[in-house]
Formats: sequence, structure tokens, C-alpha cells
Amino acid sequence: MPRTISALLLLLAFAVPALAAGPLPKPAANVKCQVCGMFVAKYPDFLARIAFRDGAVAWFDGPKDLFRFYNNMAAYDRRHQKKDVAEVTVTNYYSLAAIDGKKALYVLGTDVFGPMGKELVPCSSRAEANDLMKDHKGTRILRFTEVTPALLKGLE
Amino acid sequence: MLRAVERHRHLLDFALASLLRRKGKNAALIGVYTLVVFLLGSTLFFTHGIKREAARLLAEAPEIVVQRTVMGRYEPVPADWTEKVRALRGVSEVQPRLWGYYFDPGLKANYTFLVDRRAEPGKVLLGAALSRARGAYPGDTISFDAFDGTFTSFEVTGVLSEASELLSADLILIAEGDYRRLTGAPAGLVTDLAVRVPNAKEVPAVAEKIAGLFPHARPILRSEILRTYDSLFDWRGGMMLAVLSATLLAFLILAWDKATALSAEERREIGILKAVGWDTGDIMLMKFWEGCSVSLLAFGAGSLLAYWHVFAGNGFVIVAALKGWSTLYPSFRIAPYLGPEQLITLFFLTVVPYTAATIVPAWRAATVDPDQVMR
Repeated sequence: MPRTISALLLLLAFAVPALAAGPLPKPAANVKCQVCGMFVAKYPDFLARIAFRDGAVAWFDGPKDLFRFYNNMAAYDRRHQKKDVAEVTVTNYYSLAAIDGKKALYVLGTDVFGPMGKELVPCSSRAEANDLMKDHKGTRILRFTEVTPALLKGLE
Repeated sequence: MLRAVERHRHLLDFALASLLRRKGKNAALIGVYTLVVFLLGSTLFFTHGIKREAARLLAEAPEIVVQRTVMGRYEPVPADWTEKVRALRGVSEVQPRLWGYYFDPGLKANYTFLVDRRAEPGKVLLGAALSRARGAYPGDTISFDAFDGTFTSFEVTGVLSEASELLSADLILIAEGDYRRLTGAPAGLVTDLAVRVPNAKEVPAVAEKIAGLFPHARPILRSEILRTYDSLFDWRGGMMLAVLSATLLAFLILAWDKATALSAEERREIGILKAVGWDTGDIMLMKFWEGCSVSLLAFGAGSLLAYWHVFAGNGFVIVAALKGWSTLYPSFRIAPYLGPEQLITLFFLTVVPYTAATIVPAWRAATVDPDQVMR
């Protein structure tokens, strides 16, 4: 039992810095967004990524395209389904650090534009999201599961 | 296909032989041409090199520098602003900086003192150019006049790297206590705050919040500094090019004149060529190859000389006009870099006008009537 606890502690000790660490690794210059086809390396401030259980990775030039892909995976990727998704990573607006996309909050309706125009701007905490709402005229704060295809239509 | 190549090769052969027959005249032309390429090239390379150096250095600079103004003039910043600025959303780090200038009457040069953790109390690190100028190397002692008239000595413990001297040339790193004692800067005040903002999109918003927090604060954005440097060096380079354009014009007149006023001998030569069966196109081609050889030779030699002059010789011919923001500044070198865009610009500024100025005279020479010139 103590062994399990120490193993867990060790895991936590390594896992926490890993999550709080810097930006997503820079993708190669020829990597394209799976949805719009733009080269993603040029836009590090909105970079987003889905990693699959089989080791495959899909890159996106912003959370908006990531959600389009995630909510309609059959249209973009025949080999994978929602259940194959291991990890969703987005870029925090303020720190540009890589954060867990499923835990992130997304601010809608801001005057911050991504490479593809209107964006769902990712934040790590409620306080950050509230500040972003206030400073950039946001309209709503959404959780990962609250982003629907209908809502994405409104961002075109 | 092969035949056409052969034909061009023969024409080129002939053109080169014909150039060599009038060595003196053509050597003079190539000499002047090379000089023009050299001057324009030096200006272009130097301006570009210095802009690139500034951009490279500023890439490391903080996104925002916060200063304070009182009665419209610059004043030191209270150190307790640091925490308030750090608390702003979007700011990752705030560094209070303490630095200032010092005039050395002996060398007639301005130094920059910067408080840095690398310097221990009683010890200083020197910029490479400064170290050379004062002859102070690690282990030596260096003295400065303090604000109250006393004479203060420090031990030199190191010299900053020479990799990029533009900003570190005249720098002295010193410990905080020593610096306050030297200048009388009161405790609790710093020169400015260096603010780091990871997301470039958020920089204007942060600057606005700082101005809102402290109404007499003056946030300076890195992008503004970069723009100022760019326009400063563009302006200097532009002035230099404007002056040199007179030289270019004089050269074009020379080239045009030389190409128009064909000597009787040359006209006879063309007449004979036509009489033995060359047509106008062949003569044009030969003239084209002549022009090409002269241009390429002068362009190559001129650009090589300019490259050597700017990056190895520190641009000694033009440096006073281009770099002269401070005559007190210690010397520095620019990291060598040459992009295709500078070469292309230089090509269009020199070879293209030369070709344009000589093409019509060449055509007129090619259409002379053999009967008339040989009579």
C-alpha cells in the first residue's frame, strides 16, 4: 500500500510540471490543419492538437477547427472515432502554454481573432476567463462539452 | 539547341576579344562601374545589417518597458509598482531595472551602467569595446567619479562576449548597492520596469491597463522601438542613397556617352563585320555579351568589395554617415549576413540602368551602313 502511494506521489510530481510546462511542441513547417488545411506552425498562439490512442496526432490552427473536427470526426478522419481520442491540447491565451483542452474554458464573442477569424479563446481558470470577457468584450464562457455544432456555425 | 549555344559561345568569345583590344578604356569603365556598385552595395548591406542586428537584439527585449513621467519629463519609477504590474492578467514576469549613463571625460565617451546579479559587490563586468578602450581586463581595477565627488574603484571580473556588441559595447554590469552609492539613486526607486507578456496580441491591452493603473506611467512597446529603429536606419540609408544617386546618374551618363560615341575604329569594325556577312542581330548579340561581361565583372567585384568593406572593415568609408547617432560610441562589428533581396536590389539599382542606358546606342551602332563607314 505505501508503495502504491509513493508511486502515485511520484506520478503526480512528474505529471503536474508536465501539464504546467511551456507551449505545445512546435509542429513541422509542413503540418496542416486537419480542417481548413492551413499550415499550423505559423500560428503558435492558437495551436491546438488531438492525440489518439494509437499514437496518431491531428493538428489545428485554433480551437474552433479542433471542435469542428471533434464534433464531426467522420467527415475528416475515417480511421479514428471519439473514443480513440487520448488527449486534447489547446494553447492558453494569456500564457501561450499548452493546457488540457477538456478542462479548459472557452470564451466566445471576443474581439480576439485567430488565424481563421472568430475564435473560442481558451483559458485555464474561471478568473482568467472572466478577465478575458471583460477586457475583450466576450459574450459567453463555455466548457468543452458545451461547444455544439450549432454554436460553431455562428462562428463562421 | 546545341548549335545556338555554340553560336552564343563564339559571339561571347568575340566580344571578350574585342573588349581586350581596348584594354585601357574598358578597364576605366569597369573601375568606375565597380566603384558605383561598391558604394551603393556598402550602403545597402550596412543598413540592412544594422537593422537586422537591432531586430535580433530586440527579439530578446521585454515586450513592454514602463517608465514614469513627472512634469512631462522622465523620472525614476517607484519599485512598488512591480507587484501591481505583475498582478495584471497576461503579464508573466516583471523585472525592475536600475541603470543609467555615465560620462567619462577622459575617453570622452558615454557608458551605460546596468545593475545585474552577475556583478558582486565591489566588482564589475565590462562590455568588450569599453574594456578595449580603457585597457581594463579581468583582474584590473577600474575607477569612476561618484556623484558626490569621491573616487570609487572596482575590480574587473569579466568582459562581456563580443558576439553582438551593438548593445553591450559600452555596458558596465554593477551590483545594486554599489550603483546607488555611485550615483546617489535613492532606495525604492528604479529606472524602469521590464514587463514580459507571452501573447503578442495581449500587449496593447496590458499597456492600456498599466496606463490606467498609473496615469503618469509611460509604457513603451517593443514593437514601437523596433519601428523607430527601422525608420531611423531607413532614413539614414535613404539619405545616403539620395546622395549616391548623383554618382549613379553621373555613371549612367558616362556609360551612355561611351556607348554612343563610338570611335571611328569601332564603327569601321562593325562595318567590316556587316560586310563579311554578320547581320544586325549578331552585332546586337555581340554588344549584349560585351555589356554583360562588363556588368557582371563590375557587379561581382563591387559586391564582394562591399561585403568585405561592411562586414570585415566595419564600413569605414560610410560608417560616419550611417551610424552616427553618437560620436562617443565605442566601435562594434555587424554580424555578416547577405540575403538575396539585397543583391537583387543592388542588381536593379546598377546593372539594369546600365543596360538600359547602353541598349539604344548599341542598336544604333548595329544598324550602321557598311558602305558608308568603309568608304
